[in-house]
Amino acid sequence: MPGQPVIDMRRLHRFFGATRAVSDISFEVMKGEVFGYIGPNGAGKTTSMRILATLDIPTYGDALVDGFSVINDPDRVRRRLGFMPDYFGTYADVNCREYLDFFARAYGLRGRERHQALSHVMGFTKLDGLAEKPIRGLSKGMKQRLCLGRSMIHDPSVLILDEPAAGLDPRARIELRQMIRELADNGKTILVSSHILTELAEMCDRVGIIEKGELLAVGTVAEIQRGQVTHCQIRSRVIANVPAFASWLEERDDVENIHVDGQLVRFSQIGDMPEQAGLLREMILANFAVAEFGIEQRSLEDAFMHVTRGVVQ
Amino acid sequence: MNSSDTSSSPFATGDPTKINADVSSKGSFWRAIETAIELGGERLNPILVKEGRQALKSKQFVITFTLLLLAGWVWSMLGVALLWPGVYYAPGGRFMLCGYFVILAIPVLVTVPFSAFRSLAAEREDGTFELLSITALSSRQIVTGKLGSAVLQMLVYYSALAPCIAFTYLLRGIDIVTIVFLLFWTLVASVLLSTVGLVVATITRARHWQVLLSVLLLVGLCIVTFTWTLSFVSLITDTQATAFDDVDFWLAMSAIMTFCISHAIMFVMIAAAQISFASDNRSTRLRAMLLVQQTLWVGWMTFFWIRFEAEEFLYVLVSVAAIYWAFAGACLMGEAAILSPRVKRSLPQSFLGRMCFTWFNPGSGTGYTFAIVNLLTLVIIIVVAGLTAELEGFAGARGNYDWLLYVTLVAAYVVAYLGVGRLIVVLLRQLGRVTILLTVLINLLLVVIGAAFPVFFQG
Ligand SMILES: Nc1ncnc2c1ncn2[C@@H]1O[C@H](COP(=O)(O)OP(=O)(O)OP(=O)(O)O)[C@@H](O)[C@H]1O
Ligand SMILES: [Mg+2]
Repeated sequence: MPGQPVIDMRRLHRFFGATRAVSDISFEVMKGEVFGYIGPNGAGKTTSMRILATLDIPTYGDALVDGFSVINDPDRVRRRLGFMPDYFGTYADVNCREYLDFFARAYGLRGRERHQALSHVMGFTKLDGLAEKPIRGLSKGMKQRLCLGRSMIHDPSVLILDEPAAGLDPRARIELRQMIRELADNGKTILVSSHILTELAEMCDRVGIIEKGELLAVGTVAEIQRGQVTHCQIRSRVIANVPAFASWLEERDDVENIHVDGQLVRFSQIGDMPEQAGLLREMILANFAVAEFGIEQRSLEDAFMHVTRGVVQ
Repeated sequence: MNSSDTSSSPFATGDPTKINADVSSKGSFWRAIETAIELGGERLNPILVKEGRQALKSKQFVITFTLLLLAGWVWSMLGVALLWPGVYYAPGGRFMLCGYFVILAIPVLVTVPFSAFRSLAAEREDGTFELLSITALSSRQIVTGKLGSAVLQMLVYYSALAPCIAFTYLLRGIDIVTIVFLLFWTLVASVLLSTVGLVVATITRARHWQVLLSVLLLVGLCIVTFTWTLSFVSLITDTQATAFDDVDFWLAMSAIMTFCISHAIMFVMIAAAQISFASDNRSTRLRAMLLVQQTLWVGWMTFFWIRFEAEEFLYVLVSVAAIYWAFAGACLMGEAAILSPRVKRSLPQSFLGRMCFTWFNPGSGTGYTFAIVNLLTLVIIIVVAGLTAELEGFAGARGNYDWLLYVTLVAAYVVAYLGVGRLIVVLLRQLGRVTILLTVLINLLLVVIGAAFPVFFQG
């Protein structure tokens, strides 16, 4: 995608004492892009998003929103950015409309402009029917929508959503996904975090995988699936001499995890397509009766597990 | 928000007529009223609007209000019964006012400041403060909004008791000046205490400290309220009081008033600074305010010194200033030593600017210097004034130089104690973060040790 990045993380570091919550994270997000930020608990997602939302300052490095630094120009960044944290932030004795109205006022919207923003946000997040409902009595799903509504009340060009799908039922997840897509199609740039890659795969243009404060991979979901492949799961069927085939495989250095199931042999090979082609040729040259040879499509979970494997403790 | 770029926003297809639809079904009179409220509300601080709405639904407010009305009613009955049958001919205003005053003082001096404290503290605990801090609201607006809603509550409580207080005037025996004086100063005290409550709310976010502070605040508020009501009740009941005819009395009141105002402003500034973004300049304006306070104090005290020709004012002047600067210095020393690039950019760049304003820059070292320089300036002013008085034979002078010794000693104490405190802070900073609260506690501890030391050795 062309143009200047809307979100530009520049070697971001954030340490809490000895904890390196975020260390050396850099990536860019372009206008209209949905960027998924994926990592297990304690990976540093919230920490880096909070820095981006100008709630915290980095130990080293900087983050730019629309070219403005979160350290030096927090006011300009705030005007352009809506943040939906992973907590709710509620007031006693306030209903949904009053809540949104308050934040609209806080963002400096006046009169007609405020009423418009309010009715649009309530319409967009389907909160119309809940306008007079006290927010203490909202369900998780309603709260998430209200939160999303609050974060977009001032019509920001960038939205930072910290685990918006947490605790939602499948239907609400799909609705949320549609909302996010719709926002992106309207030109908003969105950074959304989750623990689960599959949850974001469909709606994200690109994802970044973070663990222990380090960014392990950035790219489209397909790239992550493919590009990170150092191990390839292969499924092969030989119609005779299966034990001999298995022991032949075992002797090779580039093959591991061999599972035999009747004629079916599954194993993983280190390397990419050329290595696989080479292996097949050798199998045939070794006179094994190969009836089937194929690469098993890696699931997203596999890819994710794989990418994060080295660092999990 | 830029309204011109809504074309790309999902809001662009809005239907503005929809909002007015439900309003138009009502009578035009009510519509006019609603419009007026709307228009007025647009200008108001959003926090004030929100908390006004909240208050109407809040149990705490409703309960306090009901209790207030109930207590007012009970006292009216009880008081009249006690005065009976003299209520028809003897002036019972003073007696009745005492009761109403106590009834009013408790919510206004305890409940309101404490709920201002809770309101800001809860904002930080519930995470709503973070949400607010990234809106267009400045931290000062947040604090003034909280203060505004405290004032709103005060006014509601006042108006609830207004008929009762008018009733005391009708009972005779009390003049309108006393009543207004009483209500006015109680209002001022309530505002000031509320600003203190707001500052206390921002001191710490640690849960255990927060609990301790809220207990301390509540106890403090109760003590203040107790002494306040006691002294004012004695003022009410003292029928001989003629202070209102005295010019000096009003001068003193004006002096106190200027300090109340400047302190209220300063407390708001402190609270706002405490909750502002970490890379903001939290200090320069505060230091300017400290200087204003110092100027006011020196001005009034010198004025009284000349007016009353009493040397005691010099002692009061320097003693209070020393305590003031010791405390301010202890707070300033707790500031972070590192300037954010954002702050650096806003500092004066010229040589002259740097020379004059360096001590206004945030930082622990500049804080120490700022306090000391101010105290020393004050000492020089006093010395010059005092010596001039002695030489010119001014009546306030006594012909001895005890005051000179006192002034020098006091200043030296502050410089030394703060210096040791600063040294400890510098050393501790090698190990980790030192907050303002910790710095103040260190300095407090130093003073306590310093005071206990001789006692310990004599004993
Ligand atoms: N205020 C803080 N003080 C100390 N450590 C912190 C603080 N905030 C975060 N951390 C630490 O930083 C690391 C990253 O935390 P962070 O909340 O960013 O993770 P996360 O990716 O959002 O995890 P989760 O999926 O559980 O929300 C954790 O080890 C956490 O303990
Ligand atoms: Mg998180």
